[in-house]
Amino acid sequence: MPLVSLLRFSNWLSKTPVSLLIQSTHGAIASIQIVHILCLATLTALALSLSLRIAGRGLALEPLPSLAGRFVPAVWICLALLALSGALLIIAEPHRTVRNSVFYLKMALLVVAIALTLWFAAVARRGEEQPTKLRVAAAALYMLIWAGIIVAGRLIAYH
Amino acid sequence: MNHGFLEWLQGTPLAVAVSEVWFPRVESLHVISMAIVAGTIFIVDTRLIGLTSTKLPFSYVSARLLPWTWSAFACSAVTGTLLFMSNATGYYDNGPFRAKMVLLVLAGLNMLYFQSVTLRGVVAWDSGRPPAAARLSGLISLALWCGVIGFGRWIGFTHA
Repeated sequence: MPLVSLLRFSNWLSKTPVSLLIQSTHGAIASIQIVHILCLATLTALALSLSLRIAGRGLALEPLPSLAGRFVPAVWICLALLALSGALLIIAEPHRTVRNSVFYLKMALLVVAIALTLWFAAVARRGEEQPTKLRVAAAALYMLIWAGIIVAGRLIAYH
Repeated sequence: MNHGFLEWLQGTPLAVAVSEVWFPRVESLHVISMAIVAGTIFIVDTRLIGLTSTKLPFSYVSARLLPWTWSAFACSAVTGTLLFMSNATGYYDNGPFRAKMVLLVLAGLNMLYFQSVTLRGVVAWDSGRPPAAARLSGLISLALWCGVIGFGRWIGFTHA
């Protein structure tokens, strides 16, 4: 999309009733940010536990299908809450994100993180416990991607 | 603590470098380590309350996750100290920052009490439902860490 259209979209979004309501409610943006970061912390630990388990470490006493059966849905719930709070933050302050390349980098990394989550879920469903080299590498990559998402998220404020 | 020391602290070359160049990068590391600290604590706390991981012994869940919590906490403390140094007087006088520090100390005291008193009888409930005192300790910890994160984020919305 040309940058001019993005600017127009951003201007339009900032004048929508929802945006104006969040902007004019004292402490609303800070509260949404706090919800966003609490979900992020929970998601990070879930992702860490899941990737450790895929690599045959962490809570290894629990069979992989059972652990993934608990943690993967929790990852989706956290992601849904992050998407909702993130969407509200974009609507409230579109100029911060809509034309910010770091935001699009964060979204691109998010797509990879979601794809890896789906793959881990499939591996778990098949009951494949063996931490093959490929899976250990994917588990490490998974955590690097989440770290990248967090860094990009923080750097949105500086670009 | 008087402002003389804090003024000296924020005038050190390290503090100036953080303030002028490194702040966003140090802050990013602080958020990553904070997320691991709080997130792993949430998993251990919800096991303690009896909500999650109930098929695993409590001592196993904590033994497997807390080393990550402590390593990440060390990183949080170092990065947090660097961030503080960059504007020591501003943070020292900042309400949310002070509230965050108070809640951190309370979380530490709650953990110390749990480890030295409540955890003594763990053998009896390790694989089952923890007693009320243990569940209460988990609930207090959850609330305090939510507060630490909340006030921590709030600092960014004030003029520290």
